[in-house]
Amino acid sequence: MEIICSPKGIIDRKRPGQGVMDIAGAGFGSILLDLSMGCSEYELEAMGKKRAKPLPRDTILVSKHPKELYHVLEGMVEKCRAQNLDVPVARAPFLCRDTKHQDLDELIVTLTEESIKICGRVGCGALIVRPISEDLNFYLGFADLARENHVMILLENECRDFNGHLIRGFLSDPSEAAEWVDELNRKAGEERFGFCMDAGTCSLCGQDMQQFAAVMGSRMKAVIVRDCDGHSESSMLPFTSVYRGQPQTDWLGLIRGLRENGFDGRMILDISDTAAAFSPILRSGLLKLAKSMADYLKWQIEIEKTMEKYSSIVLFGAGNMCRNYMKCYGEAHPPLFTCDNNRSLWGSRFCGLEVKPPESLLDLQEDCAVVICNIYYREIEKQLRDMGIKNPIEFFNDEYMPDFYFDRLEDR
Amino acid sequence: MKGIGVQTKNVVDDKCPTEGFAMLKRAGFSCADFSLNSYLLNTNIYRSELNEFFSRSIHELTQFFAPHKKAAQEAGITVNQMHMPYPIYVPTGDRELNDYLWNEVAPKSVELCAFFGCPHLVVHGFKLARFLGSEEAEWERTQAFLDSVAPRAKELGVVLCIENLYGGIGGHIVGGPCCDAKKAAERIDRMNEKYHAEVLGFCFDTGHANLVGLDFERFLSTLGDRLKVLHIHDNDGISDLHQIPFTFAKTRENKSSTDWDGFLRGLKGIGFDGVLSFETAPVLTAFPEELKMEALGLIDKIGEYFAGELGR
Repeated sequence: MEIICSPKGIIDRKRPGQGVMDIAGAGFGSILLDLSMGCSEYELEAMGKKRAKPLPRDTILVSKHPKELYHVLEGMVEKCRAQNLDVPVARAPFLCRDTKHQDLDELIVTLTEESIKICGRVGCGALIVRPISEDLNFYLGFADLARENHVMILLENECRDFNGHLIRGFLSDPSEAAEWVDELNRKAGEERFGFCMDAGTCSLCGQDMQQFAAVMGSRMKAVIVRDCDGHSESSMLPFTSVYRGQPQTDWLGLIRGLRENGFDGRMILDISDTAAAFSPILRSGLLKLAKSMADYLKWQIEIEKTMEKYSSIVLFGAGNMCRNYMKCYGEAHPPLFTCDNNRSLWGSRFCGLEVKPPESLLDLQEDCAVVICNIYYREIEKQLRDMGIKNPIEFFNDEYMPDFYFDRLEDR
Repeated sequence: MKGIGVQTKNVVDDKCPTEGFAMLKRAGFSCADFSLNSYLLNTNIYRSELNEFFSRSIHELTQFFAPHKKAAQEAGITVNQMHMPYPIYVPTGDRELNDYLWNEVAPKSVELCAFFGCPHLVVHGFKLARFLGSEEAEWERTQAFLDSVAPRAKELGVVLCIENLYGGIGGHIVGGPCCDAKKAAERIDRMNEKYHAEVLGFCFDTGHANLVGLDFERFLSTLGDRLKVLHIHDNDGISDLHQIPFTFAKTRENKSSTDWDGFLRGLKGIGFDGVLSFETAPVLTAFPEELKMEALGLIDKIGEYFAGELGR
């Protein structure tokens, strides 16, 4: 799975150096080429309206000069190259959810075509297109140009604005979206179309993300990960939209869905609103946290890969997390035993495992991993290292299990 | 259209049901959704605080409700739908609680539904996807429950109606059981084939649908004639408020933020000829007692408006 950072709210297209530097400095290796930064939904919405203030003389309105789309973002692309940031996915300009314009289809077609050409020019293999038409031929019209430029068109799930209330829109039903992608590819005669699931849009419509991702299967080439309160359109750092200590996005559903899907595509982290709200002084720190967040989500989605790395493992902890491990992964990745600091448990059996004292870990073969099944990860890791244990140590986490027990064990 | 109805909760009182049903009639209603669920509240069930109401024998229960039935008949109100207490399964509850819900509350609800001559009993599916890991596994448990009451429901001519529900994540409401119309339709068909009778139907809840951004027209079109009853109410798209339709707007244009036109198009498209039933009991505690009749009258008027639009 490739982690990609969306540059909105971070990079100033007119002076991209610092934003690009912050993204690269945080450890991201790839960036989304967001072409709506060259022609935003607000610029498109303002078309035909009288401006309160005249624009500065050197302003290029891409909405009037679509061929200039690349030109206005060229500086950003060059800075990315200089920082060795890949640009594997782009996003075409799109309209506001509540657009009052009914007359921009032609311009959107032109901008999408321009976006495909830009992808070809910069070697970007996928372009996210927000659907505006329910006519299959509308999208098929891009197939030849996309083929020439070696680009896959990724359609996105939509929500629609109903008098200020965002409700499920076109391609929000995963089975219909899957049929669409299949039909487009059948008519294109090759896999020229795919899907990009916007998790924020799913959340705005209260959708079952697990089901969504599972149904889309391998058609899903990218996922946009962002947080929001489930009512208002925004792109926040994951786990920051919270209420009474609980996240408001169904991360459990998303993680389960991406696991079921076997997702190995592009995970695009969009934190544009959080980033824009942060002081530029703090933004490089925010991006480091964002990168850790993306790595964490990837780790959760691929949690079984951690266990697959080792020929043998032992657990540390004989409580709920150990119980959950055994319920979900005990059969596929059986531990040799578990251990615990609670001496009253030593010699007993728990979930089919013998509970041993921590000192027993000193006798392990060197390639056997110790998997900590206790939330005091860092404290236990230090304890083990201080004991002289040299084996690999991994953390296990049971917050996003494939399933759960109905009850929790009382303190053991 | 078979009529316009509303919940009996907050209108019909056990001490004098005649008065409540007469009030509904005066407000213009011809039908009622009998709130059996108010005799064992969900908030109490979740806290494992059961009362003894459903411990009574069927004979005692029918005796208890005989005045209600008589009052409805005298007022000319048809009890067209009833709501089974919910939840009927609490995953974190003990065995005693769940046995009581399954083996006492549920079957007695079916019997009482038939006692009222009511053809539809609304039931909630189980909310277990988080625990069991998938919506399919969740449905299996709901189906097992439905199978436990379906044979008797068939005998008594009661159609069990599953309802689109929601779940909550950090105060954010998200889709819950029966929010996928295609799956619901398939499952209803499968169940009815199995019993060679119409034992299962659907109750479309507009408020719950609005909370999770469902496309009303599309959902109803997919359900088709499996739609048997309605829970009509409105909200702000954020909380399950059970308010009067057309009362919420979100933009300066002040247009309803709930897609009532889509709702009507959906009903019209499938030729719905059931009762336009409102699940708006909280309205009656929100308005002053002195305005209760007017509030009920407005709800009925909205029903008449809907019926008029559907008849065009």
